[in-house]
Amino acid sequence: MIRFDQVSKRYEGGHEALSQLSFEVASGEMAFVTGHSGAGKSTLLKLLGLIERPSHGVITLEGQHLGKIGRSGIPKLRRRIGMVFQDHRLLMDRTVFANVELPLMIGGMAPPERSKRVRAALEKVGLLAYERQLPATLSAGEQQRVGIARAIVAKPMLLIADEPTGNLDPTLAVEIMGLFAEFQQVGTTVLVASHDLPLIKRMRKRVVVLDHGRLVADVAAQEVL
Amino acid sequence: MSTQPELPLNESPLLAETPSRGGRTRARPVASWREHHGWSASASLRRLMSRPVGTLLTVAVMAIALALPLTFYLLLGNVQKMGEALGQNQTVSMFLQPSQGGSAAQLVAKKLRDRPDVAAVTVKTPQQGMDELAKMQGFSGALHTLEDNPLPFVLEVLPAQGVSADGVERLVTDMRGMSGVDQVQDSGTWRQRLEALLGVGQRAVLILAVLLALAVLLVVGNTIRVDIASRSEEIGVLMLVGASRAFVRRPYLYAGIWYGLFSGVLAAGFAVLVELSLADPVARLGHAYAGKLQIDVLPPWLLASVPVAAAVLGWLGARLVSAWQLRKAA
Repeated sequence: MIRFDQVSKRYEGGHEALSQLSFEVASGEMAFVTGHSGAGKSTLLKLLGLIERPSHGVITLEGQHLGKIGRSGIPKLRRRIGMVFQDHRLLMDRTVFANVELPLMIGGMAPPERSKRVRAALEKVGLLAYERQLPATLSAGEQQRVGIARAIVAKPMLLIADEPTGNLDPTLAVEIMGLFAEFQQVGTTVLVASHDLPLIKRMRKRVVVLDHGRLVADVAAQEVL
Repeated sequence: MSTQPELPLNESPLLAETPSRGGRTRARPVASWREHHGWSASASLRRLMSRPVGTLLTVAVMAIALALPLTFYLLLGNVQKMGEALGQNQTVSMFLQPSQGGSAAQLVAKKLRDRPDVAAVTVKTPQQGMDELAKMQGFSGALHTLEDNPLPFVLEVLPAQGVSADGVERLVTDMRGMSGVDQVQDSGTWRQRLEALLGVGQRAVLILAVLLALAVLLVVGNTIRVDIASRSEEIGVLMLVGASRAFVRRPYLYAGIWYGLFSGVLAAGFAVLVELSLADPVARLGHAYAGKLQIDVLPPWLLASVPVAAAVLGWLGARLVSAWQLRKAA
């Protein structure tokens, strides 16, 4: 599903965020990317969504060489990836429903089917009762769940999340991670960047550890203690 | 997660595997395109209405810029019509001295007819002149009180076709030098001047229209630019969830179209107001010229095309600015 082959990313100004990174994630697998801040976790996810481009190396997603996708092909790629952000990136002037509906609207789905899907996604994250509310009236954990509903509503092949529990208390964080695990169970490939090691250990999933942009450990799910 | 969907996972519409991965339903690209156009049009309209004062100010500035050339065009058209009504042909009128009789008049007429630069000469007797005057409103009563006919013989001289303005001037000079001539009036000279002036006016209106259209473009462009800048966060989110540039741009293009359309309608309204306020004075002027004058109104097709043209300008302004702004955002 995901394949990084000798990928390096050097930002303007010379900072090397990733260097010669190679790893693979199988279809339907769930993996954590961890490491101290600045280890390159966010950069790795940004490369997958083509928010950034690698300086060297090849990234393939479902066999597709991302470097061969031009500017006009980016929207199409992003519609196949669900992205969750630490600051959830919701549109604060639109209702919860409208926020979750966005990817389907962009995808061109007919309104009746759209409503069905949005409600199912909101139900999945336990927020169906809040569909008419504005995100600002929700708690941080609820807002993050709206962000997750938006990421999964279009049934993406890949779900990526950048520090999705960064702003949440431990109980909420466990709930959110549990949600991601549920999506993996129904066949979605999930990649979560997080520095919360205790939480990651609890999840018992594969862990990829980065340090200064290099891969220093790749622990399989069975080996996580 | 405590809340579970009521449907079993594999039957839930969210998680059931269907070919429409990515939320894309390829069977209805036209329908969804149309739907998004409808949504963009109404959403942008709601946005404009949500800040009525700012919208009104922008629309008013654009409307004034559009109404100005329209008003000048209206005035110009009326001046032109007035000129046409006042002197149809470029005739030169020669008034003989009152002492000159019919035979003298015919003699002068013959001399003039022999010239190559004269096409025709009409001799008007004093009686004919009197009859013409009598036909004019308000004169018949006054004329009855006259014992004698004080009018002289008048020769209406039509210069030959193709004679230049200088040629006509030479003819007029020669006519002034003939014996028994009291006065020579050349209606052509002022008509030529008027025509030249109207030509300048037409060019000025054209230049003005182009400049003010540019102003409209800039006003729309800047308004949309500010709008896009204030919504950069929203645009970023839309692009992250897979919106194409066309999708992101669409509501802003519609905003440009709305601005143009509203200002065009307002400008046409302004122009009609100017027409109405001019109608009365022009009618009075028309009375003074024996009912030959009536206000020349802007044709309906022109009034109708102003909002359309303005909408196109609005779209263009929004298109130019959004292309540039969104490239910056991406």
